[in-house]
Amino acid sequence: MRVRRLWLTDFRNYRDADITLGGGFTVVVGPNGCGKTSLLEAIGYLARLESFRGATLDTMVRHGAGSSVIRAEAESRNRELLIEAELVPGGRSRCQLNRQPVRNGKELASLMQVSVFTPDDVLLVKGGPVHRRRFLDETLGTMHSRNLALRHDLERVLRQRNALLKQAGGRTNAEVEATLDVWDGRLAEVGEELAALRSQLVGRLQPVVGDVYGSLAESRAATGLTYRRGWAGDLLGALKGSRCEDLRRTVTTVGPQRDELDLVLGDLPARTHASQGEQRTLALSLRLAGHQVATETLGFAPVLLLDDVLSELDERRSRRLVGVLPEGQSIMTTAGALPEGDVHPELVLSLEAGRVR
Amino acid sequence: MGVYTGPVQNLIDELGRLPGVGPKSAQRIAFYLLKVDEVDASRLADAITEVKAKVGFCDRCFNISQGDNCEICLDDRRDPSVICVVEEPRDVVAVERTQEFSGRYHVLQGAIDHLQGVGPDQLRIKELIARIGAENITEVIICTNPNIEGEATALYLSRVLDAPGLTVTRIASGLPVGGDLEYADELTLGRALEGRRRIGSGE
Ligand SMILES: [Zn+2]
Repeated sequence: MRVRRLWLTDFRNYRDADITLGGGFTVVVGPNGCGKTSLLEAIGYLARLESFRGATLDTMVRHGAGSSVIRAEAESRNRELLIEAELVPGGRSRCQLNRQPVRNGKELASLMQVSVFTPDDVLLVKGGPVHRRRFLDETLGTMHSRNLALRHDLERVLRQRNALLKQAGGRTNAEVEATLDVWDGRLAEVGEELAALRSQLVGRLQPVVGDVYGSLAESRAATGLTYRRGWAGDLLGALKGSRCEDLRRTVTTVGPQRDELDLVLGDLPARTHASQGEQRTLALSLRLAGHQVATETLGFAPVLLLDDVLSELDERRSRRLVGVLPEGQSIMTTAGALPEGDVHPELVLSLEAGRVR
Repeated sequence: MGVYTGPVQNLIDELGRLPGVGPKSAQRIAFYLLKVDEVDASRLADAITEVKAKVGFCDRCFNISQGDNCEICLDDRRDPSVICVVEEPRDVVAVERTQEFSGRYHVLQGAIDHLQGVGPDQLRIKELIARIGAENITEVIICTNPNIEGEATALYLSRVLDAPGLTVTRIASGLPVGGDLEYADELTLGRALEGRRRIGSGE
């Protein structure tokens, strides 16, 4: 899929911009604060109806304006798409696809897919397990919009179960037990399904991460990915077994919200033993591997958004990254120069303070 | 915390308590009301006062009602042995529109939602159980919303509604998942009613 043209109105520091993008490799250059990341954020918003920077609507709307509009002309599965999103803080945000209202994010996610890398992704390696679970679920969501709903259901069931545990306050009665039975059944259903998908995905990522890391780092250090479930045996049984403990601690102590993805680099845990440079390269390898696996599943490449990726890498790795960029549309932002050598982007967009130069 | 003078801030606060009205919308509506003619404002105030004075809930099914019992409960042509369980009075309207159902209703006045402090005890479930015995009900159709909270409520009901000779059914899927009954069109909801399936231990 590809995004051909993007219109931004009162989005971040863009007052009114009309941006044409390349179908292959586009580089967006400009000084810090000129709106490079915001451009990627706008494209990401159309795919997920949320900011990949975790920004609220308030922060995305240009200071002094009441709302923003992101409009894109795109093409996916041989279908022409006109996607329009209106961001209204404190009001009703809307989205239209080919002039018809879009009911939910899932509908849009089945048409528009992105893979995103940001400098914060180093947390995939050195941060807590929550970052790695989110990475797996985001990748699954890009592969199939149905998986987004599954993750959403899991979160809601967990929030409900935890709220019930808090309200019970360590005490139980027939009603609490019967209600817990209901939530346990639902959590087991959703949890087992998500865990099976995560586990399958890790199996597919494993060899790809190794390949990508090898070519970026020119290293033979073996990478290893191991997925561990946050419970033993079947989930329904595990929930029953931990009920007393859960009631006492007023939180759900087993389930996919406790899953972990262990990353190993050359026999040692990457989280604690890899160097900063190795961690950054491994994080980027995870994202690129996710992009490749999603591409295989979808039968076409999502739009690859690489925010400030070169600042993360040394000159040699930067050059290699540009060399191994996959087919399809990719958009990379950079504050500095492109690496020397055989680098030929299809398009270089020069930005200054919310405008294309 | 308010930034406006007493009465204006009171109005904004009250509007902000309404479902689906955020602080900004509350402000917008309040300033709109400040500008409208006195008669128009009074008509709105009167409508609220009147509905609170004249309309309450049916003693039997908890649908909205102008007397002790609602029109559906008072209608003898209704099948007295079947109850359709819904979350809110607006869902009664949605099911009625399908013209596929001829029994009576029971409005739970919500769904299990611990995040809003609503457990089974806060719903009209005890009253439902009492009705099943008292009215010789043979079938209960659970018509809660097809979202996480509605499904949990349906499952809970299927566990506690365990009486000999009683069939408990759930409307078939086919309704948009995560949606509201209210927004389902008549045809889809009608088909879902027809294709209901047994749930719980009664199988
Ligand atoms: Zn009634």
